[in-house]
Formats: sequence, C-alpha cells, structure tokens
Amino acid sequence: MGKKRYVIIGNGAAAIRAAETLRALDESGCITMVSREQGPAYSRCMLPAFLAGEKNEDDLRIRAGDFYEKHGIKTLFGSRAVDVDAGRRCVVLEGGSRVDYDSLLIATGSSTAFPAIKGLEGPGLFGLRDLSDARKILDVAGRGRRAVILGAGLVGLEAAVALARRGMEVTVVEKMPHLLPRQLDPAAAEILRRDLDGVGLRMIMGTGVQEAAAPESSGAGAVWDLLLDNGEHLRAEMVIAATGIRPNVDPVLGTGMRINRGITVDGRMRTSIPEIYAAGDVAETRDVITGVRMLTPTWLHASLQGMIAAWNMAGRPRLYPEPVGIQNVVQLHRVPVLALGVSNPQDASCEVIAIHRPAENLYRKLVLKDGALVGAILAGDIRMAGILAALMRRKADVSGFKDLILSGDFHCGYLARTG
Amino acid sequence: MCRPGKLEGVDVKAVMVYLDRCYGCLTCSLACAAAHSASGTITGAMRERVPGRILVEAAGKQPVPILCRHCDDAPCVNACMIGAMQQDPVTGLVSNEGHTQACAGCWMCIMACPYGAIVQAPRGERMALKCDGCRGRETPACVMACPNGALAYVEVDDFAGERRLKLAFCLAEDMTRDSRAYGG
Repeated sequence: MGKKRYVIIGNGAAAIRAAETLRALDESGCITMVSREQGPAYSRCMLPAFLAGEKNEDDLRIRAGDFYEKHGIKTLFGSRAVDVDAGRRCVVLEGGSRVDYDSLLIATGSSTAFPAIKGLEGPGLFGLRDLSDARKILDVAGRGRRAVILGAGLVGLEAAVALARRGMEVTVVEKMPHLLPRQLDPAAAEILRRDLDGVGLRMIMGTGVQEAAAPESSGAGAVWDLLLDNGEHLRAEMVIAATGIRPNVDPVLGTGMRINRGITVDGRMRTSIPEIYAAGDVAETRDVITGVRMLTPTWLHASLQGMIAAWNMAGRPRLYPEPVGIQNVVQLHRVPVLALGVSNPQDASCEVIAIHRPAENLYRKLVLKDGALVGAILAGDIRMAGILAALMRRKADVSGFKDLILSGDFHCGYLARTG
Repeated sequence: MCRPGKLEGVDVKAVMVYLDRCYGCLTCSLACAAAHSASGTITGAMRERVPGRILVEAAGKQPVPILCRHCDDAPCVNACMIGAMQQDPVTGLVSNEGHTQACAGCWMCIMACPYGAIVQAPRGERMALKCDGCRGRETPACVMACPNGALAYVEVDDFAGERRLKLAFCLAEDMTRDSRAYGG
C-alpha cells in the first residue's frame, strides 16, 4: 500500500490536534488540511482578548509559524469544502476541484446561530466565532460607541467585557433570569454579576428582544433600534448575537451521514460512513454523566476528539475517554467561575451541598446522585477542580468524603495508597 | 502504549514519589521556589514571593507531595486554548512556558488536571503555574533537595517496573495513559 492520504476539513482545535497526532503516528502519510479561512490556526477562545486590544492577530496563533511546513502538511486554505463524495472518497471544493482521501476528518466547527427575531438582519449585526467576525466588529467599534450583546452566555459575556475594555457602552440582554444560565445557578451568577460591576456593563436580565430595526445604511451614524419585551428601546451601532451555535455540517449533508444536532460519532470518532471521522464542535458525542448525546463545543473536547480521531484514522484503534461533557471555566474580571456536569439538577433525587460566602466572592456547590458527583459549580476558589472532573467521570462514590471535597481541601493525596 | 514521536533510545525520566518516606518537611517545595526565582536561593524566593510548584498536602496524617506527572496525552495540553501548554516530544516534559504563545491564565488546564498539580499564580496574575521538570537541570531541584529520599528521579522504563511491584495510585490513568504514578 502506498502512502495513506489523510484529509482534514478544518483548521481549529480538533483539526490541528488531529494533524499533529497523525504526523506523529504516520511519518510518511500525506496530510492535507482544507479550510475556508485563510491563515494559520488561531484560538477562537482568544478572540475577546483581540477585541479588547490586548492581543494582536499573531498572538492568537496556537502553533509556531512553521507548524504546517515542519509537519509536512499540505494546506488548502481559503478553500471551502462544499461536498463529500463518499463513494469516490473525495472532498469537493468550491469551484469543483477534488481532493482524494483514504481517511477523512470533518472538523468544520460551528457557526453563530442567529436568533429568530423580527428585523434582526442587516449591517452591524455580528456573531463572534472567527477572526473575520472579530475584524468586522473592530471596524464598527472604531466609529460607534454603543454595542448590544444578545445572550449572557460565555461568548456574549466575553465579547461584552472586551468591548467595554475598549471603552464602549455595552448592554447585555439575556432572556433567562441570570448570567451564564447554562452553567451557573443564581448564587454563582450573582457573584459573577458583582464582579462585572467593576467592568461597567449594563445587564438586562429576564428580557428578550421583541423586534429589531436595522440601520438603513452601513456607514457612520448607522444605528440599530431594538425593542425589548419590557418595552424599552436600545440603540446601538452594533449588535452581537451570542445565543447559540450551529454545527457546520453543510459539506456532508449530501452524503446521507447520520446527523442529529451534530454529526453522531461512535467511541472511535467514526461517523456512519466508512473512513469518515468527525471531531470538535461539529461532532456529537455521549456525555458520560447523563448518557445523553450532546455537542461539546469547548476547546478541551475538540482537541481530545481530534487526537482520538487521528489514532483511529492512522489504523491504531483507540477509544474516546468520554470526559465530562460540560466543563467551563472563565475569569471575566477578578473572580474565576467554573462549572462541571449537571450543575443545575432538575432531578429531585440529586443531593446538593454548598458553601456560599458572597462577601468573599466564594461559592462551592456539589451535586451528587447515588453517592457520585454529577455536577459542580466553583466560584472564587477553583483549586483542584480537575480532580472533581476526574471523580465525576469515574462515577466514584464520594459520599464518605463529600464534605471534604466541598471544603476545598480535598486533593489527590487522599486517593494515594501506600504498600 | 507510548507517546507518538517518542525517540528510541532516549531515556525519559520522571519523578517518583515514595510516600512512606515523606515527612512533610516542605524542603522540596522551598527548593522548587528557589529554582524558579531570580535569585536562585530559598530566602530570595521568599523575598520575591515565588511559590513552589510542588505542593505538599496532608491526607489525614500522611503528607503527600503533589506534582505534575508529565502525563502522555496530558489533559492540560488538550485543554490549553492558546497552545501555551505543550509536551516536549523528546523529553516528555509538559510546560506552559517557553513556547510560541504565552499562558493567558484561562485556567482550562486547572480544570483538566486530574492531579490538581496546576495552580494559579499568586497575587491575581493571569498565569498558570506548574512543574516544568526543571529544564536545564540534570535532576529536578525538588529531588535534589529531599532529605529523605521520598522523591527519586528515575527512568520511565525502570519506573514502570517499579510500579508493577509497588501498588500505585492513579486517578487518571485511563484519561492520560502512562501517567507516571506514585509508589509507596
């Protein structure tokens, strides 16, 4: 057999980790990366720092400048993959050219899902997923002073804080009653909200946008008018939608591949079509805590999935170790907050224990089910958080030392054995 | 299983912990701080307020040194969203210093490390601190300093043999493969 041809569609966390792992496992294989974006891989997670002016584009790179050359990777950047012909095993690019593969990885990531709000379409409306979004936002930020952010999730809050640091007047509108509604509970969200007082954001919670009026032109003086459910009007030069994502499944829609919310993959990151793998935001995996299939649009999951996909693509079977599906940590100002697993249980059989000292910006909450840790929120003190995630993943019975874990004094030494 | 890219014939060493020899004197932690200070001395490190990157925590009456295991396929490397945390393909050392990008203090690695071996830098600095294996030293400062032989710097192959004999703890072994472990 000749050199194996690996093709990766994407150039983000999963794609890069897959490419470098493939090269480590297969010295002579041909690796081609196809990406609609130009330029080297960068950290999407650092785009807020770029918006804030704290990092320039070069600072966002996640690998050294000679990465592709050093790893012998052929790059087709600025090329959009529009279709996959699974029968002939080739990727079809915009313009009609084809790239043959023996093994293909779909690591196309996700895009902003714009909320269905009447009138929400026009110049000055952005998502924040890629560098081109960030450049467009900066362009408008240069001539406008007001921004409205739709959604107080991670992307929304990070964008809000970044633009506020640039001196913009930022308003965050969130339908749910508290910040980071998917990750936090009211007590933790309140600590975060007070931390953000130091940044100077206006936050309107528990209210949606009823209707939007786009500016008529895109030039200077172009202003959006948003009518909120509470009757208030917000005017701003830009609107950033951060209410959700949509996996970029378009290139494989014609293949008949099994797609649920994302591309469903098995424990080896295989899709329902032979020799096609998926990893990162576009892939849907099983959550070890709930057993439910879910998207895991975080860096940590994307890299791990890319790495595991690469082992399997290279013919070295290896299973995805199924980390806890929800793992988020963020420090927007001074107080770090972290959420793991089922942090807001709806299940009455869950036991919740917590320490809450708002004056010290401290909150620790553990969620247990049948003696095992299934969720946690930590604010202010995030020491040893990884041990919690590992215990959760193991479904270890922690009922005998849950108070020790809650106190924050638990460490891996308690699990060490001698003799 | 081994790390892809690992070179044949290159000795990879790791720090082994013998719990029964640790009395919790903290000399390792002080020596680590000294090694990472500008002055290079313990008193200088205290003056500079440089923390040790090896922690010694009490588990009941048993002191336990907690330090980075430099795992293969380390969860912290996968978690790092800026590419600052990387594993040296030759030495196997995992560090968030000395690479193209600087650590941004996003704390993803702290959330990912199953050993709790990564900490936030003191005084609010946005930087994660962890053992860097004392790059440039033949033997890590903590191992050199331990007065009781509780820490040993051994070749990984020997280590694996040793591990078979002395039951080890590994919370994360199926997360990290070849997590170099504790012996007793």
